[in-house]
Amino acid sequence: MRKARRLGDLRHGGLAVVVMLVVVDGPHLAPAGLGVSSSQATPTTRLESRLPPRAGHEFYFTRAMYSGYTRGRRGSWSTDFPKADRQFLIGLTHLTNIDAYEGENPVRLDDPTLRQYPFLYALEVGYMSLTDAEVRGLREYLLAGGFLVIDDFWGTYEWQNFETQIRRVLPEYPIVEIPLDHPLLSTFYNLDAIRQVPNVWLGRAGGRTWERDGYRPALRGIFDDRGRLLVVINWNTDLGDAWEWAEDPWYPIEFSNFAYQLGVNMIVYGMTH
Amino acid sequence: MDAALEALFGFFFKYRPFVFEKGTLALGASLPLVVVLVGLAVVAVPLLSYLRVPGQLRRRDRAILATLRLGALAVLLIILLRPMLVVATVVPQQNFLAVLVDDSRSMQIADLDGRQRGEVARELLGEEDRGIMDELAARFKLRFFRFDATTERVTGITDLGFGGPRTDLSQALEQVRQELEPVPLAGVVVVTDGADNSAGGLTESLLRLKASEVPVYTVGLGRARFQRDVSLGRVETPRSVLEGSTVVVEVHVTQSGFGGRRVPLQVESEGRIVSSEEVVLPDNGETATVPIQFPASEPGPRLFRFHIPPQPGELVAENNTREALIVVEDARQKILYFEGEPRFELKFIRRAVAEDENLRVVVFLREAENVFRRLDVDDAEELATGFPTTREELFTYRGLILGSVEASFFTQDQLRMIAEFVSERGGGLLMLGGRRSFAEGGYAGTAVADALPVVLERPTMEGTDRLVTELKVEPTPVGLLHPATQIAATLDASTARWAELPSLTSVNPIREVKPGASTLLRGVLTDGGDPLVVLAYQRYGRGRTLALPVQDSWLWQMHAEVALDDLTHERFWQQLLRWLVSSVPDRVSVSASQDRVAIGSSVTLSAEVADSAYLRVNGADVVATVQTPSGTAREVGLEWTVETDGTYQAQLAMEERGLHSVRVLARQGGTLLGENSGFVHVADPVDEYFDAELRRELLERIASETGGRFYTAATVGTLPDDVQYTESGTTVREENDLWDMPIIFLFLVCLVAAEWGYRRVRGLA
Repeated sequence: MRKARRLGDLRHGGLAVVVMLVVVDGPHLAPAGLGVSSSQATPTTRLESRLPPRAGHEFYFTRAMYSGYTRGRRGSWSTDFPKADRQFLIGLTHLTNIDAYEGENPVRLDDPTLRQYPFLYALEVGYMSLTDAEVRGLREYLLAGGFLVIDDFWGTYEWQNFETQIRRVLPEYPIVEIPLDHPLLSTFYNLDAIRQVPNVWLGRAGGRTWERDGYRPALRGIFDDRGRLLVVINWNTDLGDAWEWAEDPWYPIEFSNFAYQLGVNMIVYGMTH
Repeated sequence: MDAALEALFGFFFKYRPFVFEKGTLALGASLPLVVVLVGLAVVAVPLLSYLRVPGQLRRRDRAILATLRLGALAVLLIILLRPMLVVATVVPQQNFLAVLVDDSRSMQIADLDGRQRGEVARELLGEEDRGIMDELAARFKLRFFRFDATTERVTGITDLGFGGPRTDLSQALEQVRQELEPVPLAGVVVVTDGADNSAGGLTESLLRLKASEVPVYTVGLGRARFQRDVSLGRVETPRSVLEGSTVVVEVHVTQSGFGGRRVPLQVESEGRIVSSEEVVLPDNGETATVPIQFPASEPGPRLFRFHIPPQPGELVAENNTREALIVVEDARQKILYFEGEPRFELKFIRRAVAEDENLRVVVFLREAENVFRRLDVDDAEELATGFPTTREELFTYRGLILGSVEASFFTQDQLRMIAEFVSERGGGLLMLGGRRSFAEGGYAGTAVADALPVVLERPTMEGTDRLVTELKVEPTPVGLLHPATQIAATLDASTARWAELPSLTSVNPIREVKPGASTLLRGVLTDGGDPLVVLAYQRYGRGRTLALPVQDSWLWQMHAEVALDDLTHERFWQQLLRWLVSSVPDRVSVSASQDRVAIGSSVTLSAEVADSAYLRVNGADVVATVQTPSGTAREVGLEWTVETDGTYQAQLAMEERGLHSVRVLARQGGTLLGENSGFVHVADPVDEYFDAELRRELLERIASETGGRFYTAATVGTLPDDVQYTESGTTVREENDLWDMPIIFLFLVCLVAAEWGYRRVRGLA
């Protein structure tokens, strides 16, 4: 497969170009407000699903709107929103052939139209607290064929909270490690290790990359009884910040590179497997 | 004309109508002119005598009396002219008469007041002192023949068993004509029900008989319509299907005497009922078309029986059943799916067929420009150099799915090769909707567009702008009954399910299919307008092409309106892809002229042989090994037909009941080109029980075209008389006086009596 290797090299070159494009496009994108609040709210009162017209695009980067502790005006679901989404989509459309809608697409888990978007991204799930309707909506979404990517939650406490919540959704399937030889890690880019991607502040600082007690990154998954991957869990890592701040000259490009690579892999895998 | 009327005619006119038809009229008076003059004088005298007595008679009385008198005198004049009927009649015992008796099974049908047709035939022709035999024998030298599928000379008909598997009237007439050509043949008598089930050729036989001026007298036995009967028409089934496929066939049901009754139509396989559908029997003489769906779940050659249970009082129960042999294949058919971009359609198609053991979808995916990925390939070599560039490589697949990939991706040679994949290799091509397919993908004017079943119009997209149409998909009448679009366990359930499915979208608005193509699914626009084509197919050369210009059939799996345990999406794709590759030939393909043959008959075995590029091979050694049900095997060589490249044939005589397997091996120069199997089911013949009613029109046509006459059992008594009036054979011309016909005297008496009566009434006499 000499040819494929050469093409792979091209893709790495292409990624650098994309990150630069993101740098150029970046200033247009307003950062999401990041406040911290301890009050709990459901997305019903904060933000309705903002569905783009299904204008014939193949892919919509769909962000899960879930209930839990809020951060500022919105819930924790909206971390890095919408800049991370938009910025990642710029990379995705440049790197792949995917016919992607260029805007964000937040959808509530209990919204029936969620089922029209077979790829779903959720982050900051450490304080997620799903309603029964959301549990039902997400469960049906996943069992029907939806694909969920979890990102940006750290340490033991947040894991335990997430595990409790996802157990409500899929009690019958265990959470397992995704091995490095899994096709997810070679679907578009060949990734031979799971890197810990720090948040923007730690990345800029250039020191530690971990938060709380989340020292080691993990790539875990939930498979159904036919071996189909339903949920990809990125624990102790923050791909979203790396997408959002890819244009930041102080944020190390190695982390952005990896985050884009894994992000593209997850989407291409989710669209083909 | 019925017998009583004919007898009445014969009484008044001295001869029966048939004699008049055969003969010519002539006048026998030696000096007709003198007689005519005398006659005229005789007429003139009374006429003038009436005219010269004015005043005594009113004008009307005068006219009536003159007419009556003139009429009487005219009749006398005709008598004086001595009219004659001149007919050619045979010289007794100088001519031969062929008597053909139908010896086929349909003659066992007891529809003549409870008596079998054969029994009546035997009584008419076979027994002395009865029927018409003695009269015929007195005038002719008789030659008897029995016929069914073949014809042979017999000494008499008393020993006929009426067990022939088929009826072939044309060959029977032709053989008799040839056999008796050297002798003076006065005519041919055919005793039959006319239930001919041969391939045809009757017109040619009749033309030859007509040229020889040999009249054929047909004696039709049986009822033109059974009083109570249910009959199934021929059932067309696919030769082979993949295991687990759903088969849909249309069964044509006719009946008499049971109109409106509800009966079950059952499909049986291996003694089990695999499907049943209630049928409302149509009115007498009409045909009900009943679609029925059934699963082909057990691999191997399977005999499916379509059956309506015999109804009370049915005369013929054998025509309630039809059989069809379907080879249920356990093979895993390989389909290449080339997708030009990562799409959810790809994910969900793979998911839908993942557990179908008979389908294997190999994916070649363009993830980015010049970045490709192969999924589910056999080995590292498969598709390693990209989309196939040689026929040998592409033609290893049986089906090809083109996703959202533009025509300009391919070279002209590759586009041509894709079309040839269908037309020459016989593969199945399916093009999916998408921003880079159909007209929007630049396919208009390419070789692939020629193969597609739809007409490609101007692309609707300019740059990134696109026209997205939301469509509510519904099956067309053809699609409702088509195997590719069966999405539930029964036809009714399938129809209901189509109505419930969520709408899809399309960026390839297609409104027109090509002549010869069929639309199976159409999309009704949610905002009105003409419906668009959603699924269409056509045959293209040896293969078939499908167009599915929608881009998100995965909504039938994912949409919130679809239940989690709903299998419609899986079923749709499995059925569609199975149908796409169901008739794709191998390099060596085997077929028999009939899958079901009657024991004792022969079948033509054909093999088509091609090389790895699917180019027809003519100089191959092709040998068939025929395995009989009892286990014996024999080898038969197949010969190249010369007319068609790569086609080899042999005749096989089938002499054992049961399923015969035929394994064909083709070699060239010691190298194996390929091998394949076929099956032939040999069984008791049943053709005779279908369309077994008396075919009166056919028999009348045979008689009228040759100058003969049609008879029934009731009218056959006049046949011996009729047969003697013929131009064929050794004949003499016979002059028969007509002046003494009772009708003439009766007429004369009537005229005279009328005149006398009129005079009495008017007080003139």
